Amino acid sequence: MTSVPPQEALRASAAPPQKRRARKATPFTLLAVLPFLLFGLVFAVYPMSQVVRMALSDVQIRSGQFEWTFTGADNLTKVLGSGVSWEVIGNTVVFVVASVLVSIVLGLALALLVDRAVTLLPLARNVLIWPAVIAPVVVSLMWLLILSPTAGGLNKLFRTLSLPEQGWLGDSGTAMAAVVVVDVWHWTPVVFLFFYTALKAIDASTLEAARVDGANEREIVRYIVLPALRPTIMAVALVRTIMGVKVFDEMYLLTQGGPDGATTLVSQHIKSLFFDSLRLGEAASYSLVVVFATAIVLGVVLFVRSRVER
Amino acid sequence: MSSLTETPRRRLWVEITLGLVLLVAVIPIIWTLVLAFLPNRAIVDSGWQFTFWLGNFATLFDGGAFLAQIRNSVVIVIGAVAICLAIGSMTGYALSRLNPPRWLTLPALIITGFIPLIPPMTLVPGLYILLGQLSLLGTLTGLVLVNAFINLPFAALLMSSYFSTVPNELREAALVDGASESRTFLSVMLPIVKPGLAATGIFTGIMAWNEFLMGLTLTTGGNTAPVTVGIAGLLQPYAITWGELAAAGTVAAIPIIAMAIVANRHIVAGLTSGAVKG
Repeated sequence: MTSVPPQEALRASAAPPQKRRARKATPFTLLAVLPFLLFGLVFAVYPMSQVVRMALSDVQIRSGQFEWTFTGADNLTKVLGSGVSWEVIGNTVVFVVASVLVSIVLGLALALLVDRAVTLLPLARNVLIWPAVIAPVVVSLMWLLILSPTAGGLNKLFRTLSLPEQGWLGDSGTAMAAVVVVDVWHWTPVVFLFFYTALKAIDASTLEAARVDGANEREIVRYIVLPALRPTIMAVALVRTIMGVKVFDEMYLLTQGGPDGATTLVSQHIKSLFFDSLRLGEAASYSLVVVFATAIVLGVVLFVRSRVER
Repeated sequence: MSSLTETPRRRLWVEITLGLVLLVAVIPIIWTLVLAFLPNRAIVDSGWQFTFWLGNFATLFDGGAFLAQIRNSVVIVIGAVAICLAIGSMTGYALSRLNPPRWLTLPALIITGFIPLIPPMTLVPGLYILLGQLSLLGTLTGLVLVNAFINLPFAALLMSSYFSTVPNELREAALVDGASESRTFLSVMLPIVKPGLAATGIFTGIMAWNEFLMGLTLTTGGNTAPVTVGIAGLLQPYAITWGELAAAGTVAAIPIIAMAIVANRHIVAGLTSGAVKG
Protein backbone atom coordinates (compact mmCIF):
# COMPACT_ATOMS: atom_id res chain seq x y z
CA MET A 1 0.00 0.00 0.00
CA THR A 2 1.72 3.17 -1.17
CA SER A 3 -0.93 5.58 -0.03
CA VAL A 4 -1.19 7.84 2.96
CA PRO A 5 -4.41 8.24 4.96
CA PRO A 6 -6.14 11.48 3.97
CA GLN A 7 -6.00 12.96 7.46
CA GLU A 8 -2.23 12.74 7.31
CA ALA A 9 -2.19 14.13 3.80
CA LEU A 10 -4.20 17.08 5.01
CA ARG A 11 -1.98 17.59 8.01
CA ALA A 12 1.12 17.40 5.85
CA SER A 13 -0.27 19.95 3.46
CA ALA A 14 -1.49 22.31 6.16
CA ALA A 15 1.78 22.49 8.08
CA PRO A 16 4.87 21.27 6.29
CA PRO A 17 7.80 21.25 8.70
CA GLN A 18 10.21 23.21 6.52
CA LYS A 19 10.01 26.96 5.83
CA ARG A 20 6.85 27.80 7.65
CA ARG A 21 6.83 31.51 7.08
CA ALA A 22 7.11 31.45 3.29
CA ARG A 23 3.38 31.85 2.86
CA LYS A 24 3.30 33.93 -0.28
CA ALA A 25 1.62 32.73 -3.43
CA THR A 26 4.02 32.49 -6.34
CA PRO A 27 2.36 32.78 -9.77
CA PHE A 28 2.78 29.03 -10.19
CA THR A 29 1.02 28.28 -6.88
CA LEU A 30 -1.89 30.46 -7.97
CA LEU A 31 -1.99 28.76 -11.35
CA ALA A 32 -2.01 25.34 -9.68
CA VAL A 33 -4.87 25.96 -7.25
CA LEU A 34 -7.12 28.34 -9.20
CA PRO A 35 -8.66 25.81 -11.64
CA PHE A 36 -9.69 23.66 -8.70
CA LEU A 37 -11.21 26.63 -6.88
CA LEU A 38 -12.97 27.71 -10.06
CA PHE A 39 -14.55 24.26 -10.39
CA GLY A 40 -15.65 24.38 -6.76
CA LEU A 41 -17.07 27.87 -7.17
CA VAL A 42 -19.03 27.04 -10.32
CA PHE A 43 -20.21 23.52 -9.45
CA ALA A 44 -20.62 23.66 -5.66
CA VAL A 45 -20.89 27.21 -4.31
CA TYR A 46 -23.09 28.62 -7.06
CA PRO A 47 -25.48 25.61 -7.20
CA MET A 48 -25.74 25.68 -3.41
CA SER A 49 -26.66 29.38 -3.53
CA GLN A 50 -29.35 28.48 -6.06
CA VAL A 51 -30.62 25.73 -3.75
CA VAL A 52 -30.91 28.26 -0.93
CA ARG A 53 -32.71 30.70 -3.22
CA MET A 54 -35.01 27.95 -4.44
CA ALA A 55 -35.76 26.83 -0.90
CA LEU A 56 -36.98 30.34 -0.11
CA SER A 57 -39.15 30.63 -3.22
CA ASP A 58 -42.12 29.18 -4.97
CA VAL A 59 -40.67 28.01 -8.27
CA GLN A 60 -42.85 27.14 -11.23
CA ILE A 61 -41.77 26.02 -14.68
CA ARG A 62 -43.78 27.84 -17.36
CA SER A 63 -42.95 27.08 -20.98
CA GLY A 64 -39.46 25.94 -20.09
CA GLN A 65 -38.69 29.03 -17.98
CA PHE A 66 -38.30 29.14 -14.21
CA GLU A 67 -40.59 31.60 -12.44
CA TRP A 68 -39.44 32.56 -8.96
CA THR A 69 -41.70 34.01 -6.25
CA PHE A 70 -40.15 34.73 -2.88
CA THR A 71 -42.06 32.92 -0.13
CA GLY A 72 -39.68 32.95 2.84
CA ALA A 73 -39.66 29.89 5.04
CA ASP A 74 -42.89 28.39 3.65
CA ASN A 75 -41.17 25.44 1.98
CA LEU A 76 -39.12 24.69 5.04
CA THR A 77 -42.17 24.57 7.35
CA LYS A 78 -43.94 22.37 4.80
CA VAL A 79 -41.00 19.95 4.69
CA LEU A 80 -40.41 19.89 8.44
CA GLY A 81 -44.13 19.59 9.19
CA SER A 82 -44.72 16.69 6.84
CA GLY A 83 -44.92 13.16 8.19
CA VAL A 84 -43.54 11.78 4.93
CA SER A 85 -40.33 13.77 5.33
CA TRP A 86 -39.71 12.27 8.74
CA GLU A 87 -40.62 8.78 7.59
CA VAL A 88 -37.96 9.12 4.87
CA ILE A 89 -35.37 10.13 7.45
CA GLY A 90 -36.45 7.17 9.60
CA ASN A 91 -36.04 4.81 6.63
CA THR A 92 -32.61 6.23 5.96
CA VAL A 93 -31.53 5.71 9.57
CA VAL A 94 -32.79 2.11 9.53
CA PHE A 95 -31.04 1.39 6.22
CA VAL A 96 -27.75 3.01 7.25
CA VAL A 97 -27.56 1.39 10.70
CA ALA A 98 -28.44 -2.06 9.35
CA SER A 99 -26.15 -2.03 6.33
CA VAL A 100 -23.21 -0.46 8.22
CA LEU A 101 -23.42 -2.90 11.13
CA VAL A 102 -23.85 -6.00 8.98
CA SER A 103 -21.09 -5.08 6.54
CA ILE A 104 -18.65 -4.28 9.36
CA VAL A 105 -19.31 -7.58 11.16
CA LEU A 106 -19.07 -9.58 7.93
CA GLY A 107 -16.06 -7.62 6.68
CA LEU A 108 -14.22 -8.21 9.94
CA ALA A 109 -15.03 -11.91 9.90
CA LEU A 110 -13.96 -12.12 6.26
CA ALA A 111 -10.65 -10.38 7.00
CA LEU A 112 -9.88 -12.83 9.81
CA LEU A 113 -10.89 -15.72 7.55
CA VAL A 114 -8.77 -14.62 4.58
CA ASP A 115 -5.87 -13.97 6.93
CA ARG A 116 -5.93 -17.65 7.91
CA ALA A 117 -6.42 -19.03 4.41
CA VAL A 118 -3.56 -20.44 2.36
CA THR A 119 -4.80 -22.15 -0.78
CA LEU A 120 -7.63 -19.76 -1.61
CA LEU A 121 -5.77 -16.61 -0.50
CA PRO A 122 -4.62 -15.41 -3.95
CA LEU A 123 -8.03 -16.12 -5.48
CA ALA A 124 -9.84 -14.36 -2.63
CA ARG A 125 -7.71 -11.24 -2.87
CA ASN A 126 -8.50 -11.02 -6.56
CA VAL A 127 -12.16 -11.99 -6.69
CA LEU A 128 -13.37 -10.10 -3.61
CA ILE A 129 -12.74 -6.76 -5.30
CA TRP A 130 -15.19 -7.54 -8.13
CA PRO A 131 -18.50 -6.60 -6.45
CA ALA A 132 -17.03 -3.28 -5.32
CA VAL A 133 -15.98 -2.09 -8.78
CA ILE A 134 -19.26 -2.90 -10.54
CA ALA A 135 -21.64 0.03 -11.00
CA PRO A 136 -24.40 0.24 -8.37
CA VAL A 137 -26.84 0.24 -11.28
CA VAL A 138 -25.47 -3.05 -12.58
CA VAL A 139 -25.34 -4.51 -9.07
CA SER A 140 -29.02 -3.64 -8.62
CA LEU A 141 -29.83 -5.21 -11.95
CA MET A 142 -27.95 -8.39 -11.05
CA TRP A 143 -29.96 -8.67 -7.85
CA LEU A 144 -33.18 -7.90 -9.68
CA LEU A 145 -32.45 -10.97 -11.79
CA ILE A 146 -32.28 -12.91 -8.52
CA LEU A 147 -35.01 -11.26 -6.44
CA SER A 148 -37.70 -10.52 -9.02
CA PRO A 149 -40.88 -12.38 -8.01
CA THR A 150 -41.65 -13.62 -11.51
CA ALA A 151 -38.37 -14.18 -13.32
CA GLY A 152 -35.93 -14.13 -10.43
CA GLY A 153 -33.59 -17.00 -9.71
CA LEU A 154 -34.38 -17.17 -6.00
CA ASN A 155 -38.09 -17.84 -6.43
CA LYS A 156 -37.24 -20.32 -9.18
CA LEU A 157 -35.07 -22.14 -6.68
CA PHE A 158 -37.85 -21.98 -4.07
CA ARG A 159 -40.29 -23.42 -6.62
CA THR A 160 -37.95 -26.30 -7.38
CA LEU A 161 -37.54 -27.00 -3.66
CA SER A 162 -41.35 -26.65 -3.14
CA LEU A 163 -40.88 -23.75 -0.72
CA PRO A 164 -43.41 -20.88 -0.67
CA GLU A 165 -42.38 -18.13 -3.11
CA GLN A 166 -41.81 -14.64 -1.70
CA GLY A 167 -42.44 -11.13 -2.97
CA TRP A 168 -38.96 -10.06 -1.79
CA LEU A 169 -38.84 -6.50 -3.15
CA GLY A 170 -42.58 -6.02 -3.34
CA ASP A 171 -43.32 -6.89 0.30
CA SER A 172 -42.91 -4.11 2.83
CA GLY A 173 -41.66 -6.71 5.31
CA THR A 174 -38.80 -7.97 3.13
CA ALA A 175 -38.08 -5.00 0.83
CA MET A 176 -35.86 -3.12 3.28
CA ALA A 177 -34.04 -6.32 4.23
CA ALA A 178 -33.52 -7.09 0.54
CA VAL A 179 -31.96 -3.72 -0.27
CA VAL A 180 -29.75 -4.02 2.81
CA VAL A 181 -28.57 -7.43 1.55
CA VAL A 182 -27.76 -5.94 -1.85
CA ASP A 183 -25.86 -3.05 -0.27
CA VAL A 184 -23.95 -5.41 2.02
CA TRP A 185 -23.04 -7.67 -0.92
CA HIS A 186 -21.80 -4.64 -2.82
CA TRP A 187 -19.67 -2.98 -0.13
CA THR A 188 -18.50 -5.66 2.29
CA PRO A 189 -15.49 -6.32 0.00
CA VAL A 190 -14.28 -2.74 0.55
CA VAL A 191 -14.81 -3.04 4.30
CA PHE A 192 -12.87 -6.31 4.15
CA LEU A 193 -9.98 -4.56 2.38
CA PHE A 194 -9.72 -1.92 5.10
CA PHE A 195 -9.70 -4.53 7.86
CA TYR A 196 -7.36 -6.87 6.03
CA THR A 197 -4.81 -4.07 5.50
CA ALA A 198 -5.07 -3.07 9.17
CA LEU A 199 -4.74 -6.71 10.23
CA LYS A 200 -1.54 -7.05 8.21
CA ALA A 201 -0.13 -4.03 10.04
CA ILE A 202 -0.43 -5.64 13.49
CA ASP A 203 2.99 -6.46 14.85
CA ALA A 204 3.50 -10.21 14.37
CA SER A 205 5.74 -10.53 17.45
CA THR A 206 2.89 -9.40 19.74
CA LEU A 207 0.74 -12.21 18.42
CA GLU A 208 3.60 -14.66 18.69
CA ALA A 209 4.21 -13.68 22.32
CA ALA A 210 0.53 -14.13 23.15
CA ARG A 211 0.59 -17.59 21.58
CA VAL A 212 3.69 -18.59 23.49
CA ASP A 213 1.94 -17.44 26.67
CA GLY A 214 -0.83 -19.89 25.87
CA ALA A 215 -3.59 -17.64 24.49
CA ASN A 216 -6.02 -19.39 22.18
CA GLU A 217 -7.35 -17.94 18.90
CA ARG A 218 -10.48 -16.49 20.47
CA GLU A 219 -8.51 -14.71 23.20
CA ILE A 220 -6.08 -13.33 20.65
CA VAL A 221 -8.91 -11.89 18.57
CA ARG A 222 -10.72 -10.55 21.61
CA TYR A 223 -7.78 -8.98 23.47
CA ILE A 224 -5.24 -8.13 20.76
CA VAL A 225 -6.75 -7.97 17.28
CA LEU A 226 -10.01 -6.15 18.04
CA PRO A 227 -8.42 -3.43 20.21
CA ALA A 228 -5.74 -2.93 17.56
CA LEU A 229 -8.41 -2.58 14.87
CA ARG A 230 -10.55 -0.14 16.85
CA PRO A 231 -9.44 3.01 14.97
CA THR A 232 -10.04 1.21 11.64
CA ILE A 233 -13.49 0.08 12.78
CA MET A 234 -14.37 3.68 13.68
CA ALA A 235 -13.07 5.01 10.36
CA VAL A 236 -14.89 2.34 8.35
CA ALA A 237 -18.12 2.99 10.26
CA LEU A 238 -17.84 6.69 9.40
CA VAL A 239 -17.11 6.07 5.71
CA ARG A 240 -19.86 3.48 5.38
CA THR A 241 -22.36 5.77 7.12
CA ILE A 242 -21.58 8.54 4.64
CA MET A 243 -21.95 6.07 1.77
CA GLY A 244 -25.24 4.84 3.20
CA VAL A 245 -26.74 8.33 3.44
CA LYS A 246 -25.68 9.03 -0.17
CA VAL A 247 -27.26 5.88 -1.60
CA PHE A 248 -29.69 6.34 -4.48
CA ASP A 249 -29.17 4.02 -7.44
CA GLU A 250 -30.12 0.80 -5.66
CA MET A 251 -33.51 2.03 -4.44
CA TYR A 252 -34.26 3.71 -7.74
CA LEU A 253 -33.83 0.43 -9.59
CA LEU A 254 -34.79 -2.24 -7.09
CA THR A 255 -37.91 -0.82 -5.44
CA GLN A 256 -38.51 2.73 -6.76
CA GLY A 257 -38.75 3.61 -3.06
CA GLY A 258 -41.72 1.28 -2.55
CA PRO A 259 -43.64 -0.68 -1.51
CA ASP A 260 -45.67 2.19 -0.07
CA GLY A 261 -42.60 4.31 0.57
CA ALA A 262 -41.00 1.64 2.77
CA THR A 263 -37.61 2.02 1.07
CA THR A 264 -37.75 5.73 0.14
CA LEU A 265 -34.48 7.23 1.40
CA VAL A 266 -33.46 10.90 1.34
CA SER A 267 -31.99 11.01 -2.19
CA GLN A 268 -34.94 9.17 -3.69
CA HIS A 269 -37.30 11.55 -1.87
CA ILE A 270 -35.56 14.70 -3.16
CA LYS A 271 -35.57 13.24 -6.68
CA SER A 272 -39.29 12.53 -6.67
CA LEU A 273 -40.13 15.91 -5.09
CA PHE A 274 -38.07 17.75 -7.72
CA PHE A 275 -38.58 15.78 -10.91
CA ASP A 276 -41.85 13.87 -10.42
CA SER A 277 -44.01 16.20 -8.31
CA LEU A 278 -42.23 19.37 -9.54
CA ARG A 279 -42.32 20.76 -6.00
CA LEU A 280 -38.97 22.42 -6.61
CA GLY A 281 -38.95 24.64 -3.54
CA GLU A 282 -39.69 21.76 -1.20
CA ALA A 283 -37.04 19.61 -2.86
CA ALA A 284 -34.48 22.39 -2.33
CA SER A 285 -35.55 22.82 1.30
CA TYR A 286 -35.19 19.11 1.90
CA SER A 287 -31.72 19.20 0.32
CA LEU A 288 -30.73 21.98 2.70
CA VAL A 289 -32.05 20.04 5.70
CA VAL A 290 -29.99 17.00 4.64
CA VAL A 291 -26.83 19.08 4.09
CA PHE A 292 -27.17 20.77 7.48
CA ALA A 293 -27.90 17.48 9.22
CA THR A 294 -24.81 15.94 7.58
CA ALA A 295 -22.66 18.87 8.65
CA ILE A 296 -23.92 18.78 12.24
CA VAL A 297 -23.56 15.01 12.63
CA LEU A 298 -20.03 15.10 11.18
CA GLY A 299 -19.09 18.03 13.38
CA VAL A 300 -20.25 16.13 16.47
CA VAL A 301 -18.46 12.94 15.38
CA LEU A 302 -15.18 14.73 14.71
CA PHE A 303 -15.46 16.67 17.99
CA VAL A 304 -16.10 13.51 20.01
CA ARG A 305 -13.28 11.70 18.24
CA SER A 306 -10.79 14.47 18.94
CA ARG A 307 -11.89 14.46 22.61
CA VAL A 308 -11.59 10.69 22.91
CA GLU A 309 -8.24 10.44 21.24
CA ARG A 310 -6.46 13.28 22.98
CA MET B 1 -0.31 -14.29 11.35
CA SER B 2 1.53 -17.52 11.64
CA SER B 3 -0.42 -20.66 12.30
CA LEU B 4 1.43 -22.54 15.01
CA THR B 5 -1.74 -23.59 16.77
CA GLU B 6 -3.62 -24.53 13.62
CA THR B 7 -4.47 -28.10 12.95
CA PRO B 8 -4.89 -29.41 9.39
CA ARG B 9 -8.57 -29.96 10.10
CA ARG B 10 -9.10 -26.36 11.13
CA ARG B 11 -7.22 -25.18 8.07
CA LEU B 12 -9.57 -27.18 5.86
CA TRP B 13 -12.53 -25.50 7.56
CA VAL B 14 -11.07 -22.09 6.78
CA GLU B 15 -10.67 -22.95 3.11
CA ILE B 16 -14.19 -24.39 2.82
CA THR B 17 -15.82 -21.35 4.47
CA LEU B 18 -13.83 -18.98 2.31
CA GLY B 19 -14.79 -20.98 -0.76
CA LEU B 20 -18.46 -20.55 0.11
CA VAL B 21 -17.98 -16.82 0.65
CA LEU B 22 -16.30 -16.49 -2.74
CA LEU B 23 -19.22 -18.36 -4.27
CA VAL B 24 -21.68 -15.88 -2.74
CA ALA B 25 -19.54 -13.04 -4.10
CA VAL B 26 -19.61 -14.30 -7.69
CA ILE B 27 -23.03 -15.98 -7.97
CA PRO B 28 -24.93 -12.78 -8.93
CA ILE B 29 -22.26 -12.03 -11.54
CA ILE B 30 -22.34 -15.54 -12.99
CA TRP B 31 -26.14 -15.66 -12.93
CA THR B 32 -26.27 -12.42 -14.94
CA LEU B 33 -23.77 -13.85 -17.39
CA VAL B 34 -25.87 -17.01 -17.80
CA LEU B 35 -29.12 -15.11 -18.33
CA ALA B 36 -27.46 -12.88 -20.92
CA PHE B 37 -27.23 -15.91 -23.20
CA LEU B 38 -30.76 -17.20 -22.58
CA PRO B 39 -33.93 -16.37 -24.53
CA ASN B 40 -36.59 -14.59 -22.47
CA ARG B 41 -38.88 -17.62 -22.71
CA ALA B 42 -36.34 -19.76 -20.87
CA ILE B 43 -35.81 -17.11 -18.18
CA VAL B 44 -39.46 -16.69 -17.19
CA ASP B 45 -40.12 -20.45 -17.50
CA SER B 46 -40.66 -22.04 -14.10
CA GLY B 47 -38.19 -24.85 -14.83
CA TRP B 48 -34.47 -24.64 -15.55
CA GLN B 49 -33.73 -24.42 -19.26
CA PHE B 50 -30.29 -23.62 -20.54
CA THR B 51 -29.70 -22.93 -24.19
CA PHE B 52 -26.97 -20.79 -25.71
CA TRP B 53 -28.48 -17.82 -27.53
CA LEU B 54 -26.91 -14.59 -28.78
CA GLY B 55 -30.18 -12.86 -29.59
CA ASN B 56 -30.12 -10.64 -26.48
CA PHE B 57 -26.93 -8.97 -27.63
CA ALA B 58 -28.26 -8.68 -31.17
CA THR B 59 -31.44 -6.81 -30.08
CA LEU B 60 -29.46 -4.74 -27.57
CA PHE B 61 -27.12 -3.38 -30.19
CA ASP B 62 -29.76 -3.24 -32.90
CA GLY B 63 -31.68 -0.13 -31.90
CA GLY B 64 -28.63 2.11 -31.80
CA ALA B 65 -29.42 3.83 -28.49
CA PHE B 66 -27.29 1.40 -26.47
CA LEU B 67 -24.27 1.87 -28.73
CA ALA B 68 -24.67 5.64 -28.50
CA GLN B 69 -24.89 5.35 -24.71
CA ILE B 70 -21.68 3.32 -24.51
CA ARG B 71 -19.99 5.95 -26.65
CA ASN B 72 -21.33 8.67 -24.33
CA SER B 73 -19.95 6.84 -21.30
CA VAL B 74 -16.55 6.45 -22.95
CA VAL B 75 -16.46 10.18 -23.74
CA ILE B 76 -17.49 11.03 -20.17
CA VAL B 77 -14.81 8.75 -18.71
CA ILE B 78 -12.03 10.11 -20.94
CA GLY B 79 -13.04 13.72 -20.37
CA ALA B 80 -13.50 13.40 -16.61
CA VAL B 81 -10.24 11.47 -16.15
CA ALA B 82 -8.29 14.01 -18.24
CA ILE B 83 -9.64 16.95 -16.22
CA CYS B 84 -9.16 15.16 -12.89
CA LEU B 85 -5.57 14.23 -13.70
CA ALA B 86 -4.65 17.70 -14.96
CA ILE B 87 -6.29 19.78 -12.25
CA GLY B 88 -6.05 17.15 -9.50
CA SER B 89 -2.30 16.72 -9.90
CA MET B 90 -1.68 20.49 -9.91
CA THR B 91 -3.83 21.06 -6.84
CA GLY B 92 -2.42 18.01 -5.09
CA TYR B 93 1.10 19.20 -5.81
CA ALA B 94 0.32 22.68 -4.50
CA LEU B 95 -1.26 21.33 -1.31
CA SER B 96 1.56 18.92 -0.69
CA ARG B 97 4.67 20.86 -1.73
CA LEU B 98 4.12 24.51 -2.58
CA ASN B 99 3.09 25.77 0.85
CA PRO B 100 0.39 28.13 -0.45
CA PRO B 101 -1.08 30.92 1.69
CA ARG B 102 -4.10 30.15 3.84
CA TRP B 103 -6.60 32.23 1.89
CA LEU B 104 -5.88 29.95 -1.05
CA THR B 105 -5.79 26.57 0.69
CA LEU B 106 -8.66 27.02 3.12
CA PRO B 107 -11.44 27.18 0.51
CA ALA B 108 -9.75 24.35 -1.38
CA LEU B 109 -9.66 22.20 1.75
CA ILE B 110 -13.27 22.99 2.64
CA ILE B 111 -14.40 21.95 -0.85
CA THR B 112 -12.20 18.83 -0.79
CA GLY B 113 -13.53 17.89 2.60
CA PHE B 114 -17.21 18.66 2.34
CA ILE B 115 -18.31 17.79 -1.20
CA PRO B 116 -17.62 14.04 -0.87
CA LEU B 117 -19.61 13.92 2.36
CA ILE B 118 -23.01 15.22 1.29
CA PRO B 119 -25.40 13.19 -0.86
CA PRO B 120 -24.87 14.29 -4.48
CA MET B 121 -28.65 14.48 -4.83
CA THR B 122 -28.70 17.60 -2.64
CA LEU B 123 -26.64 19.38 -5.33
CA VAL B 124 -28.86 18.26 -8.21
CA PRO B 125 -31.48 21.06 -7.97
CA GLY B 126 -28.69 23.66 -8.07
CA LEU B 127 -26.78 21.87 -10.82
CA TYR B 128 -29.97 21.60 -12.85
CA ILE B 129 -30.40 25.40 -12.68
CA LEU B 130 -26.70 25.99 -13.43
CA LEU B 131 -26.56 23.71 -16.45
CA GLY B 132 -29.85 25.17 -17.68
CA GLN B 133 -28.37 28.68 -17.53
CA LEU B 134 -25.24 27.51 -19.37
CA SER B 135 -27.38 25.61 -21.95
CA LEU B 136 -25.49 22.44 -21.01
CA LEU B 137 -28.51 20.41 -19.85
CA GLY B 138 -28.56 17.08 -21.67
CA THR B 139 -25.13 17.63 -23.26
CA LEU B 140 -22.05 15.48 -22.98
CA THR B 141 -19.97 18.54 -22.07
CA GLY B 142 -22.22 19.10 -19.08
CA LEU B 143 -21.86 15.52 -17.89
CA VAL B 144 -18.08 15.54 -18.41
CA LEU B 145 -17.76 18.68 -16.28
CA VAL B 146 -20.09 17.43 -13.54
CA ASN B 147 -18.33 14.05 -13.38
CA ALA B 148 -14.95 15.77 -13.26
CA PHE B 149 -16.18 18.00 -10.45
CA ILE B 150 -17.52 15.08 -8.38
CA ASN B 151 -14.20 13.23 -8.59
CA LEU B 152 -11.87 16.24 -8.33
CA PRO B 153 -11.64 16.41 -4.52
CA PHE B 154 -10.66 12.76 -4.35
CA ALA B 155 -8.18 13.11 -7.23
CA ALA B 156 -6.52 16.12 -5.57
CA LEU B 157 -6.31 14.35 -2.22
CA LEU B 158 -4.89 11.17 -3.71
CA MET B 159 -2.33 13.06 -5.79
CA SER B 160 -1.37 15.16 -2.78
CA SER B 161 -0.63 12.02 -0.78
CA TYR B 162 1.49 10.65 -3.65
CA PHE B 163 3.46 13.89 -3.97
CA SER B 164 4.06 13.82 -0.22
CA THR B 165 5.93 10.53 -0.59
CA VAL B 166 8.49 12.14 -2.95
CA PRO B 167 11.55 13.45 -1.07
CA ASN B 168 11.61 17.23 -1.12
CA GLU B 169 15.34 17.18 -1.99
CA LEU B 170 14.47 16.22 -5.56
CA ARG B 171 12.38 19.32 -6.00
CA GLU B 172 14.99 21.53 -4.39
CA ALA B 173 17.76 20.06 -6.54
CA ALA B 174 15.78 20.81 -9.69
CA LEU B 175 15.12 24.38 -8.55
CA VAL B 176 18.77 24.90 -7.63
CA ASP B 177 19.75 23.63 -11.07
CA GLY B 178 17.76 26.51 -12.49
CA ALA B 179 14.53 24.83 -13.54
CA SER B 180 11.43 26.98 -13.24
CA GLU B 181 8.65 25.85 -10.90
CA SER B 182 6.44 24.73 -13.77
CA ARG B 183 9.37 22.93 -15.40
CA THR B 184 10.17 21.16 -12.09
CA PHE B 185 6.56 20.09 -11.79
CA LEU B 186 6.19 18.84 -15.36
CA SER B 187 9.58 17.21 -15.99
CA VAL B 188 10.70 16.10 -12.53
CA MET B 189 7.81 15.62 -10.13
CA LEU B 190 5.06 14.41 -12.48
CA PRO B 191 7.09 11.51 -13.96
CA ILE B 192 7.98 10.30 -10.45
CA VAL B 193 4.35 9.99 -9.39
CA LYS B 194 3.29 8.05 -12.50
CA PRO B 195 1.91 5.19 -10.33
CA GLY B 196 -0.16 7.78 -8.49
CA LEU B 197 -1.47 9.15 -11.78
CA ALA B 198 -2.38 5.61 -12.84
CA ALA B 199 -4.22 4.90 -9.58
CA THR B 200 -6.06 8.23 -9.72
CA GLY B 201 -6.94 7.75 -13.39
CA ILE B 202 -8.21 4.20 -12.94
CA PHE B 203 -10.20 5.13 -9.91
CA THR B 204 -11.87 8.24 -11.34
CA GLY B 205 -12.45 6.31 -14.57
CA ILE B 206 -14.38 3.60 -12.73
CA MET B 207 -16.34 6.20 -10.79
CA ALA B 208 -17.29 8.10 -13.97
CA TRP B 209 -18.24 4.90 -15.85
CA ASN B 210 -20.41 3.80 -12.90
CA GLU B 211 -22.05 7.19 -12.33
CA PHE B 212 -25.83 7.16 -12.63
CA LEU B 213 -27.54 9.95 -10.72
CA MET B 214 -26.22 12.90 -12.74
CA GLY B 215 -26.76 11.06 -16.01
CA LEU B 216 -30.34 10.38 -14.99
CA THR B 217 -31.27 13.84 -13.80
CA LEU B 218 -29.25 16.06 -16.14
CA THR B 219 -30.06 14.37 -19.47
CA THR B 220 -33.28 13.52 -21.23
CA GLY B 221 -32.30 9.85 -21.64
CA GLY B 222 -32.10 8.01 -24.96
CA ASN B 223 -29.12 8.94 -27.10
CA THR B 224 -28.00 11.67 -24.70
CA ALA B 225 -27.62 9.37 -21.66
CA PRO B 226 -24.68 7.35 -20.37
CA VAL B 227 -24.86 3.54 -20.39
CA THR B 228 -25.95 3.22 -16.74
CA VAL B 229 -29.04 5.29 -17.48
CA GLY B 230 -29.64 3.21 -20.59
CA ILE B 231 -29.66 0.06 -18.48
CA ALA B 232 -32.17 1.58 -16.07
CA GLY B 233 -34.28 2.49 -19.08
CA LEU B 234 -34.57 -1.18 -20.05
CA LEU B 235 -36.59 -1.70 -16.85
CA GLN B 236 -40.03 -0.89 -18.19
CA PRO B 237 -42.74 -1.71 -15.68
CA TYR B 238 -44.84 -3.94 -17.94
CA ALA B 239 -42.63 -5.72 -20.40
CA ILE B 240 -39.18 -6.33 -18.97
CA THR B 241 -36.93 -8.10 -21.42
CA TRP B 242 -34.84 -9.90 -18.82
CA GLY B 243 -32.34 -11.39 -21.23
CA GLU B 244 -31.61 -8.02 -22.80
CA LEU B 245 -31.21 -6.53 -19.32
CA ALA B 246 -28.72 -9.24 -18.38
CA ALA B 247 -26.83 -8.69 -21.61
CA ALA B 248 -26.65 -4.94 -20.94
CA GLY B 249 -25.40 -5.59 -17.42
CA THR B 250 -22.77 -7.95 -18.77
CA VAL B 251 -21.55 -5.39 -21.30
CA ALA B 252 -21.35 -2.70 -18.59
CA ALA B 253 -19.65 -4.91 -15.98
CA ILE B 254 -17.16 -6.91 -18.05
CA PRO B 255 -14.74 -4.08 -18.96
CA ILE B 256 -14.67 -2.95 -15.32
CA ILE B 257 -14.02 -6.45 -13.97
CA ALA B 258 -11.34 -7.01 -16.62
CA MET B 259 -9.70 -3.76 -15.56
CA ALA B 260 -9.98 -4.79 -11.90
CA ILE B 261 -8.11 -8.00 -12.67
CA VAL B 262 -5.34 -6.13 -14.50
CA ALA B 263 -5.04 -3.18 -12.14
CA ASN B 264 -6.04 -4.80 -8.86
CA ARG B 265 -3.27 -3.22 -6.83
CA HIS B 266 -3.89 0.28 -8.11
CA ILE B 267 -7.61 -0.02 -7.38
CA VAL B 268 -6.99 -1.29 -3.88
CA ALA B 269 -4.65 1.65 -3.27
CA GLY B 270 -7.33 4.00 -4.51
CA LEU B 271 -10.11 2.44 -2.47
CA THR B 272 -8.28 2.19 0.81
CA SER B 273 -6.72 5.63 0.71
CA GLY B 274 -10.02 7.20 -0.22
CA ALA B 275 -11.42 7.28 3.27
CA VAL B 276 -13.31 10.47 2.46
CA LYS B 277 -14.87 9.27 -0.76
CA GLY B 278 -18.03 7.23 -0.62
